Amino acid sequence: MFVTDIRKEFYDVVVNQRVALLISSDIDALCACKILQALFHCDQVQYTLVPVTGWQDLGTAFLEHKEQFHYFVLVNCGANVDLLEMLQPDEDSVFFICDTHRPVDVINVYNDTQIKLLIKQDDDLGVPSYDDIFRDEDEEDGDDSGNESDLGSEPSGKRRRFDEILFDYEQYEYHGTSAAMMLFELAWVLSKDTKDMLWWAIIGLTDQWVHDKITHMKYVTDIATMQRHVSRHNHRNEDEENSLSIDCMRISFEYDLRLTLYQHWSLYESICNSCYTSCNFKLWSLNGQKKLQEFLADMGLPLKQVRQKFNCMDISIKENLRDVIEESSNKYGMKDIRIQTFGVHFGFKNRFLASDVVHAAAALLESTEKDESASDTFIKALDCLSRSNLERLHLGIDLAKKKLIAIQQTVASCICTNLILSQGPFLYCYLMEGTPDVKLFSKPMALTLLCKYLLKAFVHSTRNKRCKLLPLIMAAPMDVEKGTVIVAGIPPESETSDKKNFFGRAFEKAAESTSSRTLHDHFDTSIIELKTEDRTKFLDALITLLS
Amino acid sequence: MPIVHNGAVTSCVFFAVSGNSYSAGTFISSTVGVPALTHSFCKQNNPAVQTMDPSEVEFLAEKEMVKIIPNFSLDKIYLIGGDLGPFNPGLPVDVPVWLALNLKQRQKCRIVPPEWMDVEKLEEIRELERKEDAFTPVPSPYYMELTKLLLNHASDNIPKADEIRTLVKDIWDTRIAKLRLSADSFISQQEAHAKLDNLTLMEINTTRTFLLDSLNCMYKLRSNLQPGSNKGKALDY
Repeated sequence: MFVTDIRKEFYDVVVNQRVALLISSDIDALCACKILQALFHCDQVQYTLVPVTGWQDLGTAFLEHKEQFHYFVLVNCGANVDLLEMLQPDEDSVFFICDTHRPVDVINVYNDTQIKLLIKQDDDLGVPSYDDIFRDEDEEDGDDSGNESDLGSEPSGKRRRFDEILFDYEQYEYHGTSAAMMLFELAWVLSKDTKDMLWWAIIGLTDQWVHDKITHMKYVTDIATMQRHVSRHNHRNEDEENSLSIDCMRISFEYDLRLTLYQHWSLYESICNSCYTSCNFKLWSLNGQKKLQEFLADMGLPLKQVRQKFNCMDISIKENLRDVIEESSNKYGMKDIRIQTFGVHFGFKNRFLASDVVHAAAALLESTEKDESASDTFIKALDCLSRSNLERLHLGIDLAKKKLIAIQQTVASCICTNLILSQGPFLYCYLMEGTPDVKLFSKPMALTLLCKYLLKAFVHSTRNKRCKLLPLIMAAPMDVEKGTVIVAGIPPESETSDKKNFFGRAFEKAAESTSSRTLHDHFDTSIIELKTEDRTKFLDALITLLS
Repeated sequence: MPIVHNGAVTSCVFFAVSGNSYSAGTFISSTVGVPALTHSFCKQNNPAVQTMDPSEVEFLAEKEMVKIIPNFSLDKIYLIGGDLGPFNPGLPVDVPVWLALNLKQRQKCRIVPPEWMDVEKLEEIRELERKEDAFTPVPSPYYMELTKLLLNHASDNIPKADEIRTLVKDIWDTRIAKLRLSADSFISQQEAHAKLDNLTLMEINTTRTFLLDSLNCMYKLRSNLQPGSNKGKALDY
């Protein structure tokens, strides 16, 4: 059931108990975790933090802890499956789920006792009403696999309608309001919100935008909400005479450039490696390089300055940089080079934009060092979000730079060697094993980022009008010893895309029909693991399914 | 053994060993308030044992009282060191610094800066300190530690925190410079005793090791200048 008063029904319940926190491996979940940890520290609530990477992990973690804990908080996992059926908990276990995955499973919505959803009842949930799905007690609850009963025609007609409703409801997968923002609202209601928590909520929201999980409209609306909180915090402490210490954290609204990490890199590198500029200029081609030189010349920026570290650039250039770049980029067809975001500023040296921190934390979370387990990387990524761990954040930024360069090079090579094939209802690309940096792309977030950039680049480079509207499926080697590949599917690229992804169900059906050996372990159902040998028959099944 | 004082240490008395007598060791004593527990610590071989760690001084400083404005309510609490409270939201109450910092970190209160932590007052004190040759009275016996603790944990409750930090550091620097000067003249003029008023425990602690070690060395050197004296080797005091 949905929780209406998050303070009474969630916080006041757990504040005197021991709680197990099961946190998924994405940046929004990490930020939500930090906020919750800070609240728990204030009230000295005992908790255990368990990072989980997939459904199997969740199951094992639950089995390990079910004896000692009655209250479980799940962040960014668990809303989109029938949790009680999967975990088989005892009667007195209560689950608080704060998850961005939609659609929320109907069983979770209509369970009154054990499942509490910390989710806002927005308009975009569209949960079918109780009577539409659930029948009398002697019939099974409807689920989307459909019942194969052979009752009389009237009940089976009704059941078909229920199945249809459920099928429509669960067909597309998308994301809702950031979990970090939900927990920040809890902190706000408790009047315990600090600037640190506000910053984490902003990072959670920016993570959803960077990894393309929410629509542009929703991003802008949520930014406006955060902006209200930011102005409230800024007016609280500062006035003309009593200025705040320089070490205090200042968050400011920025209408900043869409160049990834440009303040920690050189401007030139950032332009070359940001998806937006690289796709618009088509920097994988010689023509594109020339256009870039023209662009820089048009703005009057000397090459020597532009290739320097951003902090060492001339002050006179840095002053009006944003306006100058916006003007010039309008001439080259890039109308949205600026995006609304937030930046933080503390101490004399430390300025970061929210997207910088997202990229750094994502690089740390998915770093492919040999002797680091999933929990090590999780803890490192969690640490880099604190203000006191700046070296870790800088290390993350360096890793993110390498990751971005790798992505751009892979995109360039895929486009130039025409590795993207149109299979009819979708585009398909397979990364061979020997590709440089292919290990980076065995991780889900990095692979989705690569998919997104590749699709954008493809849309800009192809002349085939029909291909521009196709979704993309990408496969990359995941585990060489076990012989598996990771397969990810993303919806088609468009200006007004609603980011709804149907590949989850499609993958399931294709795997069933060909009995391929797949593992649907990831919380995003559009990312699966597949045995390399079954790749071709799986793809053929998909093609027939989606045609 | 070093002397641990309960109240403010406001003056120090130094006794130097002259060339011949080796019975009195060097020691530091307080002449204010608490009965002076002056024990000589001769016979200690390891000078390092005789110092206090700065964190111990900070620990003592945390017993000072500071005003907070809580946002929760609690009845009077009875602790070994005294009674605290009752706490009512919005009403100021005096608590020790250790409790104030803990509550602040748990976002349960707002700290009110002490009266002396104000830019104009500190500027006056700084000017006075620079003019005088002797040590001027300090705003608080633990001014350095309190500044550091309060500005690190509660700088958003203290207006003009950066200026205050600079001013307190200036005052500290001036006083330490005077201390060094005084120790230097004490040694070079081979005085028998010196009296310094208005020193805080932190300042004494900062010079303690150096001063005592150097006086020991001087004693060793001086006693070795007289060959054939009664003792065979120099004793460390």
